[in-house]
Amino acid sequence: MSTQDSSQHAPQHKEVVMLIPWYVNDTLSDRDRSKVEGHLAACAACRDELALERRIHEGMNVDGPVEYMPAASLNRLRDMLDGKSAAGEQNAVEQPKPLGRPRRWQWLAAASFAGAAAAAGLWVAGHGLPGSRDLAAPVFYTVTNPATHPREEVVRAVFSPSITLVELQALLDEAQLRIVSGPSEAGVYSLAARSDLPVSTSLALLRRHASVRFAEGTEQAAEPGHAP
Amino acid sequence: MNLLARNAPKESDRELLAAVASGNRRALEELYLAYHRRLARFLSRFTPAYENVEEIINDTFMVVWQSAKDFRNASQVSTWVIGIAYRTALKSIRRQKNHAGAANLDDCPEQTFDPRSDDEMHDWLKQGLNRLPTEQRLTLELAYHMGHSVEEIAVITDCPVGTVKARMFHAREKLRQYLPGLGGSSAPAERA
Repeated sequence: MSTQDSSQHAPQHKEVVMLIPWYVNDTLSDRDRSKVEGHLAACAACRDELALERRIHEGMNVDGPVEYMPAASLNRLRDMLDGKSAAGEQNAVEQPKPLGRPRRWQWLAAASFAGAAAAAGLWVAGHGLPGSRDLAAPVFYTVTNPATHPREEVVRAVFSPSITLVELQALLDEAQLRIVSGPSEAGVYSLAARSDLPVSTSLALLRRHASVRFAEGTEQAAEPGHAP
Repeated sequence: MNLLARNAPKESDRELLAAVASGNRRALEELYLAYHRRLARFLSRFTPAYENVEEIINDTFMVVWQSAKDFRNASQVSTWVIGIAYRTALKSIRRQKNHAGAANLDDCPEQTFDPRSDDEMHDWLKQGLNRLPTEQRLTLELAYHMGHSVEEIAVITDCPVGTVKARMFHAREKLRQYLPGLGGSSAPAERA
């Protein structure tokens, strides 16, 4: 398109340039789509623009599939709702708490606490708490709480809060593990084997990763079906 | 058309949200499971830490739970839910940036790359997107990753359509400034 042509069609050119992203994602109305297509036929600059935006669009959609675990986060939403309901029953006049922030710090604190909790929990599992039946429900959780561990679990692990989804998925792929539940209140994930890779190898792979705070095999890992 | 933006059955969403408004938690959980993957994929684009993604999704659905009765059918349920997630994410990102100190394109030297290489294009895009101002980045993600129309983005972001177009335009312009090899340093509209 010549400079003269461009100046003659400048208002339409500017309008079309603004619309090109939505021409690329195919959400324009029929009227706007016709307008863009009519202009594209005559404007080389807009055709270049379209080619570039298509590359950007394509580049933003090439990420591989990442596995998400809605069940675990849904459990936490249920906890939030239960907490809110309990608070509402306790004091119907009180406004709901501002949303959000405590969870991250709860998680961070829980993750940091998990190593100590693991050691303490192992002792508790072996010995039991003296007089524990008389105590109120504990306000902390350990990695050895039997009610929280699925049968297929072979490894319990705590990851750094800064680990990304992509890193976590890559790490689990490498260690041939998958998440079966978690994180618990202590930040512990229950992991099951995805292949015949020995659990000891999976554990070694986890432990050498900087974002793994804690990783231990479980009783199931020592059973005949799982190479320790 | 991008399936991410088109895969939710609109009528069943409305029925679910009506049930949520009447206090039905099972309906909320059904809605949660229907939207979790879509929101997680969107949010993980710019909030890579999993616990942040989860926190934003759960905060979003707490708002859905509390505000479902206020939904007036003025938009699609999906647009309404994503609008809540957008505002929740915006607050979270701003908080993170306040802690970390935000980088932006003005701080970065221009890059040289071979635009024919897909790997380089991908790396450049990641870097360029991370340096866009938050509203521009989110607008670009809503259009190109989530596949929303300009009108839907206007509802989601609670902005006039003209503002959405302007944010998108400036985002594209900044990406060009970051990478002259891609399309020159001039603004798109000036290149005719």
